[in-house]
Amino acid sequence: MTSLIIGVLLVVGGAMVGIALDRALLRRWIRNRDPQQHHPAPKTRTPSGRRRSARHVIEDAERRLQSAEAGQLSAETAASRVEASLDALEAGLVLCDRNGRVVARNTAATQFLEARHGEALVTRVIKDLLEQARSGELVTTRVELHAEPRRSYEVRAGPVERGGEMLGAIALVHDITEHDRIESVRRDFVANVSHELKTPIGALSLLADSLAADTEPEVVARLAGRMQIEIQRVANTIDDLLTLAMLEDESGRADERVDIGAVVAAASDRISETAEQRDVKVVVSMPDDLAPIRGSRLHLESAVFNLLDNAIKFSDPGERVDVQVETGRDTLTLSVTDEGIGIPAAEQSRIFERFYRVDRARSRSTGGTGLGLAIVRHVALNHGGDVSVTSREGLGAQFTLTLPLDNGD
Amino acid sequence: MTEQTRKGFHAEIDEISDLIVQLGAQASDAVARATDALLTYDLAEAQQIIDDDDHIDVAAIEVEEKCQSLLALQQPMAGDLRQILAAMWITGELERTGGLACNICKGARRMFRTELPPRLRGLIAEMNEEAIRLIRLSVDSYSEHDAALASALHDIDDRLDSLHRTFVKTLLESSRTHDLDVQPSMQLALIARYYERIGDHAVNISDRVRYMVSGVMPWRAGLARHRVRDELKAHELAADPAEMSSNSDDEAD
Repeated sequence: MTSLIIGVLLVVGGAMVGIALDRALLRRWIRNRDPQQHHPAPKTRTPSGRRRSARHVIEDAERRLQSAEAGQLSAETAASRVEASLDALEAGLVLCDRNGRVVARNTAATQFLEARHGEALVTRVIKDLLEQARSGELVTTRVELHAEPRRSYEVRAGPVERGGEMLGAIALVHDITEHDRIESVRRDFVANVSHELKTPIGALSLLADSLAADTEPEVVARLAGRMQIEIQRVANTIDDLLTLAMLEDESGRADERVDIGAVVAAASDRISETAEQRDVKVVVSMPDDLAPIRGSRLHLESAVFNLLDNAIKFSDPGERVDVQVETGRDTLTLSVTDEGIGIPAAEQSRIFERFYRVDRARSRSTGGTGLGLAIVRHVALNHGGDVSVTSREGLGAQFTLTLPLDNGD
Repeated sequence: MTEQTRKGFHAEIDEISDLIVQLGAQASDAVARATDALLTYDLAEAQQIIDDDDHIDVAAIEVEEKCQSLLALQQPMAGDLRQILAAMWITGELERTGGLACNICKGARRMFRTELPPRLRGLIAEMNEEAIRLIRLSVDSYSEHDAALASALHDIDDRLDSLHRTFVKTLLESSRTHDLDVQPSMQLALIARYYERIGDHAVNISDRVRYMVSGVMPWRAGLARHRVRDELKAHELAADPAEMSSNSDDEAD
């Protein structure tokens, strides 16, 4: 029995000594590892001399542990701060070491490296460029994704060096889809506007020349008639340009309560003659009690008129155009649907640009100015709404105007 | 040591999987590009797509070689073996998909200067979207090991098949009303067939995915039918040898 008690005591005592030794070892280890060992913590010797009590050793070790943890914490804070800033970047960033192993990437880059479809192409380019960059080259490539949703990316990669030593390579991925779109809008606008203005003026100049050379009354009458048509065309273009300028200039929209039913009625009344000429039937369906819209009656009417005009122009004789008005809780939607030739998918995002034409030859023969849909879009935006299109070639198109309702605030 | 080798092995299988996903993206991008070239009458772009098909071939060979070396060096079994076999088959299907995109471009070249009727253009755009959707779904089922999605692809492909039929019908109508010549009409019929084939390749991929996940071999249905037919024939032959010739005529239908 006594031997058992002694045995237990020995085991417990041994364990305690072991713990104390461990702590001491830990302490020494921390001191060696601690970069700030030149500023040691206060000495923990007992007044009696060289011996330190176990309690002191433990306290000392704990203090050092804490300071080491604090050091680690501040390093972690710094790292997470860097990480957060990289994640906040819009561009994707991928960093690889000198063996080509990816060591870091931000959130934006993760979508490429884990991409399954179109963006998987970007992954391939990133890897290829990092490979080239590791040999010291600075490389840039564009990647176009042709399947919907269409996007364009620019991937740049370069070596990462410090003091002549190659550490690895870095790649940056920028989404340049919007940049490209704006660039082509700008470029095409200049080309299109000069085309729209020059064509009738060129025609006028030719007609005037012929007129000056001819005396036969029949020919003169015919030439004069042609001149009038061309003059009308220029006048229409200038009118539409002025309307657009006015819409753009308008800081606060005209503030009247507009009955959209009356607007649709007026617009379809104005278009009825053209519709009859082209043998296209316009069918309007809308509820009787429409809540009003706050805005400009004149502008809204011109927007609806332009949508109808467009629908009729691109319809074949015998087809119909449907106008449908529906109200939701906060918005009113007005859709104009035709059964005409439709709009290619690639052009659908561009048709609201000024002077943009899907098919120049055809649109010229229909006599539009190329500004109609731009006007519609401006009116919609001025009223806090929007306009969109869905279409399938050969099956027609549907334009939908969405406007916020005036809920009497 | 063996643990280390196994780890390397699975990392390599993952890499093959990534490469197939990229190959799928390349193939579907080629289809979308080919459709653009066809609908915008862009001959230079059509030629470029044909040239760029080499990239797809190179990527396909890369996957194949990786698979071959894994088979030779690691002698995988069961699921691992199926995964590598499936990868090799799927690579072949995707490479063919890229080839069909080239065929679309060549068709576009042969019927250059033909203005396409709007309804046919719309149907081409629709077949393009549907074909790309099928490729993407098949790649999804592959990388997610989703046998259920893979099984559903057969039915999803019905939509592309019906678009193909509508296209041929509309083409026949258009060739009457729009004065479409024989040459462009023929090319258009072939092009529609290429889209339909792309869908079939996606379905083939999904069959291989089902094999990879569960070991079933859906493409062996024909073989199974053949065997059953043979057994039936033998059975009937034993029962009544005199009627054998008329029975075999029925089965030929």
